[in-house]
Amino acid sequence: MRRRRFLASPLLLLASGTLAADDYPRVLPGQTIGFPRDAGAHPAFRSEWWYITGWVREPDGNPFGVQVTFFRNRPRVAESNPSAFAPRQLLFAHAAIADARYGKLRHDQRAARAGFGLANAAEDTTAVSIDDWSLKLVDGAYIARIVARDFRFDLRFAPSQPVLLEGDGGFSRKGRSIENASYYYSQPQLAVSGNVAVDGRDANITGTAWLDHEWSSAALAPEASGWDWIGINLDDDGALMAFRMRDHAGAALWAGGTFRGRDGALRSFEPAEIRFAVERRWRSPRTGIEYPVAMRVSVGNDDYALEPLMDDQELDARASTGTVYWEGAVRALRGGREVGRGYLELTGYGKPLTL
Amino acid sequence: MRKPGLSAARAVLAGSLVQNKARSTLSVLAIALGVALGYAVALITGAAVNELALGVQFLAGDADLQVRGPRSGFDEAVYPRLARLPEVAVASPVVEADAKLADRDDVLKIIGVDVFRAGAVQPGLIAQAGDRLDQLRPDMLFVSSAAASALGVVRGGELAFQVGLRTVTLRVAGVVPGGAQQRFAVMDIAGAQTNFDRPGRVSRVDLRLRPGIDIDAARERIQAQLPAGLAVQRPEAGVAAGEGLSRSYRVNLNVLALVALFTGGLLVFSTQALAVVRRRPQLALLRVLGMTRRQLASLLVLEGAIVGVVGSALGLAGGFVLARAAVRVIGADLGAGYFRGVAPTLALAPIPLVIFFCLGVTIAMLASLVPALEAARAAPAAALKAGDEERAFSRLRPSWPGLVIIGAGALAALAPPVAGLPLFGYLAIALFVIGTLMLMPRIAVMLLAALPLPRGGPPRLALLQLRGAPGQVAVSLAAIVAAVSLMVSMAIMVASFRVSLDAWLERILPADLYVRAGAAGDTAYLGADDQARLAALPGVRSAEFQREQQLLLDPSRPRVVLLARSIDAANLARQLQLVRGPVTLPPGAPPPVWVNEAMLDLYDFAPGKLIELPIAGKLASFTVAGVWRDYARPQGAIVIERERYIALTGDRSATSAALWLASGVNPDELSRAIAGDIPGGSRLEIAAPGEIREVSLKAFDRTFAVTYALELAAVVIGLFGLSSSFGALVLSRRREFGMLRHIGMTRRQIAAMLATEGLTISAIGLLVGFGLGWLISLVLIDVVNRQSFHWGMELNVPWSALASSAVVVLALSTLTAIASGRQAMSRRAVLVVKEDW
Amino acid sequence: MLVVHGLTKSYAGPRPRAVFADVDLSLSAGDYVAIMGESGAGKSTLLNLIAGLDSPDRGSISLDGTELTTLGDDALTALRRERFGFVFQAFHVLPYLTVAQNVALPLSLLGVVAPEKDARVKSVLAGVGLDGRGQSVPRELSGGELQRVAIARALVHAPRVVLADEPTGNLDADTASQVLRLLRDQIKSHGAAGILVTHSRAAAQTCDRIMQLTPTGLHALPPG
Repeated sequence: MRRRRFLASPLLLLASGTLAADDYPRVLPGQTIGFPRDAGAHPAFRSEWWYITGWVREPDGNPFGVQVTFFRNRPRVAESNPSAFAPRQLLFAHAAIADARYGKLRHDQRAARAGFGLANAAEDTTAVSIDDWSLKLVDGAYIARIVARDFRFDLRFAPSQPVLLEGDGGFSRKGRSIENASYYYSQPQLAVSGNVAVDGRDANITGTAWLDHEWSSAALAPEASGWDWIGINLDDDGALMAFRMRDHAGAALWAGGTFRGRDGALRSFEPAEIRFAVERRWRSPRTGIEYPVAMRVSVGNDDYALEPLMDDQELDARASTGTVYWEGAVRALRGGREVGRGYLELTGYGKPLTL
Repeated sequence: MRKPGLSAARAVLAGSLVQNKARSTLSVLAIALGVALGYAVALITGAAVNELALGVQFLAGDADLQVRGPRSGFDEAVYPRLARLPEVAVASPVVEADAKLADRDDVLKIIGVDVFRAGAVQPGLIAQAGDRLDQLRPDMLFVSSAAASALGVVRGGELAFQVGLRTVTLRVAGVVPGGAQQRFAVMDIAGAQTNFDRPGRVSRVDLRLRPGIDIDAARERIQAQLPAGLAVQRPEAGVAAGEGLSRSYRVNLNVLALVALFTGGLLVFSTQALAVVRRRPQLALLRVLGMTRRQLASLLVLEGAIVGVVGSALGLAGGFVLARAAVRVIGADLGAGYFRGVAPTLALAPIPLVIFFCLGVTIAMLASLVPALEAARAAPAAALKAGDEERAFSRLRPSWPGLVIIGAGALAALAPPVAGLPLFGYLAIALFVIGTLMLMPRIAVMLLAALPLPRGGPPRLALLQLRGAPGQVAVSLAAIVAAVSLMVSMAIMVASFRVSLDAWLERILPADLYVRAGAAGDTAYLGADDQARLAALPGVRSAEFQREQQLLLDPSRPRVVLLARSIDAANLARQLQLVRGPVTLPPGAPPPVWVNEAMLDLYDFAPGKLIELPIAGKLASFTVAGVWRDYARPQGAIVIERERYIALTGDRSATSAALWLASGVNPDELSRAIAGDIPGGSRLEIAAPGEIREVSLKAFDRTFAVTYALELAAVVIGLFGLSSSFGALVLSRRREFGMLRHIGMTRRQIAAMLATEGLTISAIGLLVGFGLGWLISLVLIDVVNRQSFHWGMELNVPWSALASSAVVVLALSTLTAIASGRQAMSRRAVLVVKEDW
Repeated sequence: MLVVHGLTKSYAGPRPRAVFADVDLSLSAGDYVAIMGESGAGKSTLLNLIAGLDSPDRGSISLDGTELTTLGDDALTALRRERFGFVFQAFHVLPYLTVAQNVALPLSLLGVVAPEKDARVKSVLAGVGLDGRGQSVPRELSGGELQRVAIARALVHAPRVVLADEPTGNLDADTASQVLRLLRDQIKSHGAAGILVTHSRAAAQTCDRIMQLTPTGLHALPPG
């Protein structure tokens, strides 16, 4: 019980505005995202994440969600300190399994300062690790190895489509000010294969996942309190990403989204073209926080109803960071028919992220 | 037949205890005092050690194993190697520094941690911060609540530390809750490394192993992979090593307290022996009425038990009060400096409580047992006859058991220590005391026979009375002999120690001025520049620098001190007070080191021996070239040539300097020059040898203050014993005094007779006590001190102090005797000639 | 020589008790008087008053013209040392002294020194039939012998008055009559006056006169 784990919330760090954005490189439009360099870390920027969410199943089993996330943060508190322990770069990781039979998330976390080869985020390609947790791009596929408290991943995520540059060629605005933006690309329709062990039982699984890689210095505007985000792999090989930034009153402050059709045609949406409407709320019995776990998302002229795999996909990190959010597997339905599967992320519903 | 016998017994018992209220009270008080002292010492040292252990446990958190090395730390590259070991779940690196506070003569323990690692191993160290990044900022620290109140700082305040000769100021970001009464501060490990000059080094790596790993097996595997000078242990081992330093001191205090209890037991013995004699006819009557020997003996032992129970209960209460007062007034270390920074809370520790209660009762019962058995053995008919009292003591007379016991004591004194404690030394002292007490009647007979008989009058009568009753004399003397011997032995030991210490201080302080980087802690030092500036100061003829380090040679013991200093091999005796050696090294032998007596005792570093020392992570070979006297480092110390140390480590810093001045230079002016001309010079602690000597001797006297107090208590109990037994003797002789008054002896004459008796008895007590004390002091010096603290010293008898205390004891005991006799001179007492018993 | 007149004594305390009143007694050298009385009649108290160990409420005691009731403790002690001899029921022979040392005690207190002291002790021991037993220790002696030692001690310094309080109370009948005879002979031969306090008619009959102590005074009893 006493073994609390320190974990500075990446979301919190993202928002902790004790330093002006000027101290970090600014995210500017018109920059070219290039690979493999931009698959690696961008240590000069304040924060960065590699975020994989997907639906998987055993050959004859029920589907369940998996999440592997690595965060990088540059706190700028000890940059001139010559010590090898100087916390120039902080790394965090979350991993979770969303299994409806279990009824809530199984999740675990890691945190470390980069250094000594024990925790590292490579700059030349995707290669992030904290102790025995790692996410690496090897021969074109992402390999995730996670040894959590009550589960273990050994998964391969192979791209089946080209990289999807979000926003304007990878420049993704997050607010009314041009300052509030990130560099952002996605890898939808990743083919998942590998092994998941839960409660000591090994299972070979397959499925489909989504990767986001995003780095920024001032993504969250001061007036923003959180966001709603979806990344859906459509059954027809299409991909849909949409988000909205909410203000303290809960109203949309900014929104964005991208749709890539099965033909590869890309369409970016203006803020006004995206609407998130709440269909159903669920109150967490543990935290009392109410989340809009079922939503109707309108993107342009298309409407998607989002139904959660289960209601309770709350990720409670209050004991360490004071933040609680909802990161859940959802089905996307059109006209009552399932058209795709993906993840819904709901942040800032407890306390505002700007704390 | 049984029932009436027992009810009569009860009447006799109750009657005796109530009738002799004063003496019963004295017996109870003597046991109470002994129990109180023992319990108080146990409470205080127990609480301090417990607090220390709690502190170590708290700081170690949930660590399964800890990797430790030299005090100054070890290469941080060890940390990732440990972290990657398959057995290890979490490795938490720690930088520790006892940082010297800039504006006061005190240190604060700085604990530099990686919050991301420490959170899983030492969660108690992690405070909630307003701004979480404060946990990473190099200029922020979190103080423990005990440190916050001791230093009077709050969140947002600042603390200034001395590092080298610089000042480092850190901000207080918050308070670490819990942490018992420990004073410490937590900060980011990178900041700790940089601010406190520990670049590239960590002090400790705490390991939490993966579930299901056998800790001891893992410990062995990990130990095999560690560089020289590093050890991996369970955290408890750190507690034991920390306790080790103070253990001998604590055991010595406990033994002293037990001596007080033992003396109290002797007082009960005297009182009971004489009370039994006085009631001899009554007890014989009980036997005649049908009480068995066993019943009678049980009855008398029961009296002792009642005294023991009441005395122990009072003593426990008194001990608790005493302990509280002592902690408040002189601190948890009882003035010895072992538990600095520990402010324990005293609790009614149940185990010592039970132990000391049982001890008090047992001692009182044992003290009653010998007289009880004697009384039970007496033939009832003979005992009923008046004038039979002295027969009661005839049993104490055979002399061979006493001689055998003293011989056994001499053998015990030769035995080696047990677990680092001089248990056989204590046994030897106990045997000497017991043997001497058993020989007391014989000794009394011899001494009394040697005294010339005065021609007439009361003194003649007094001496005749004493000669006629050596057994009674011996019983009266038991407590006073024990007390005096304790006093004398402690006085001789302390004087020997003090004189040797003084001589040693003179020897080790040959220079004109001494400069220390900081009075305390391990963060202050003199850099190479500072040293050059010091040596170049006008007025300084020559300067020698010394670097103090600490090496971990044996993980189960405290670290030993490594002193790197310039050594002039041709003139070694000027620098070190060698007690063994110097050894001339054969050609090709490894370079020399010189060790203190503790190293010889603890690690068997004998002159000529080849040894290996882990310096800078590597094992280096040396030859022990000599053993020097040292009263400062009972954990062990090694002197190495400074040039060799620098060659091995590259560490050119120094912790202290000795300066020789050019002729005509005023040390005070030079001190001012140092403070003024050297950057940071005002932080240096500058002292003339005289001041250092004075401070050292003051510290010495403070350490022994408690010893004196315990000793005084024993002497007071001894005087109680004398007065008690004298009172009993006088009471038993009141018919005699009545007769003497009848036939025309004046009160003055009776007083003179009693005074002569008192004087003679105490003179015998003093004589024997002095002899026994001298013998015990030899054991204290050559066995107890040597084995406890590894201090050698020369015997030195403080004649004048002993003589004056002898006069005081003589005067007090004579007065006691006269006071006891006052009763005998009252008119009422004159009329007791009618009494038949 | 010893004249007691109108002696009255009561005990103070929560319940004051009159012991006796108006006791008159007159003794000359060589007089040997027995005082009888019931238990509690105050026999021992009367002896203590005569020896100056207790003070009367009223009355006078004069010895050879010296009034005892006006003397202080030191003077009384000196008087006792010189002119009184005592024989107690419980002997009170000091166990740690030899017979000779015990007998010599009064002489030591009077400052009589060696050759004379030894001679007088030897002579008085011969008188009580303990010739040659001077170096014995009390433990080796029988009760009758111990009381002989006590008688010797009571007479060694040639006192004017010998006070004996139940001297045979601890002895068997045969021994008792021997001791009583000895006591009488010794008092007579030393020319002292003697008072024997006893409750035994037989013992009293060894005296010249027998007096009965009653609350109202001393009354002569007819002999036989």
